[in-house]
Amino acid sequence: MIMTEIVPSQIVPFPADDSRHNDGSEIVFNGRVRSTEHGEPILALEYEHYEGMAETELNGLAEKTVSKFSIHDLFCRHRVGQIGVGEISLHVVIWSKHRKEGLSAMTWFIAELKKHIPIWKWALLTTGERVPSECVNSEH
Amino acid sequence: MKVLVKCFSQVKYAVGTSELVLDLNPGSTTADLEAVIREKGAGELEGVTLRTAVNKHYVSESVPLEDGDEVAFIPPVQGG
Repeated sequence: MIMTEIVPSQIVPFPADDSRHNDGSEIVFNGRVRSTEHGEPILALEYEHYEGMAETELNGLAEKTVSKFSIHDLFCRHRVGQIGVGEISLHVVIWSKHRKEGLSAMTWFIAELKKHIPIWKWALLTTGERVPSECVNSEH
Repeated sequence: MKVLVKCFSQVKYAVGTSELVLDLNPGSTTADLEAVIREKGAGELEGVTLRTAVNKHYVSESVPLEDGDEVAFIPPVQGG
């Protein structure tokens, strides 16, 4: 099963699920906003997305990931709008029988998300300036 | 024919608006439209790779446009 959402407000993490007796691995990834961009301190990142397309592409990517890897479920929430330093922009949970396939799936899913999902970000500097984020197709 | 162009990130910055309606000659393609958008960007999009989406789906090559299509030229994405 997959579940994907793009949300405009603070991400509520998916709850841990103790009823999953066949999933030995539950991997949780939280991407958070770092405090600097271009070596400058920032207040926040401002994310914009192509409404309608980003949701469809994200859902399709989750489906592809579940088909490609031996995992059971993938849930993902991506936040858009202004996100403060330290806050979560991306939350992903993958359940699988063993950790190895879950870790591989998580790495691939996030890498593909960064290549294909129409979402962009701007850095809001502490000086008040708004500049494009330095992150493009990053492997980090 | 009229098409709606949605602009994001660098494209929005370059053309100065988040969307615009353009009147194109019948038979125009996405490549023709991209040239128009790059020209409107006045050099700001030089060297920027743009992917094309028609009606919210990526297209891998230039395709003919139809009246009422929604087109976006997608600059490098930055999700995550």
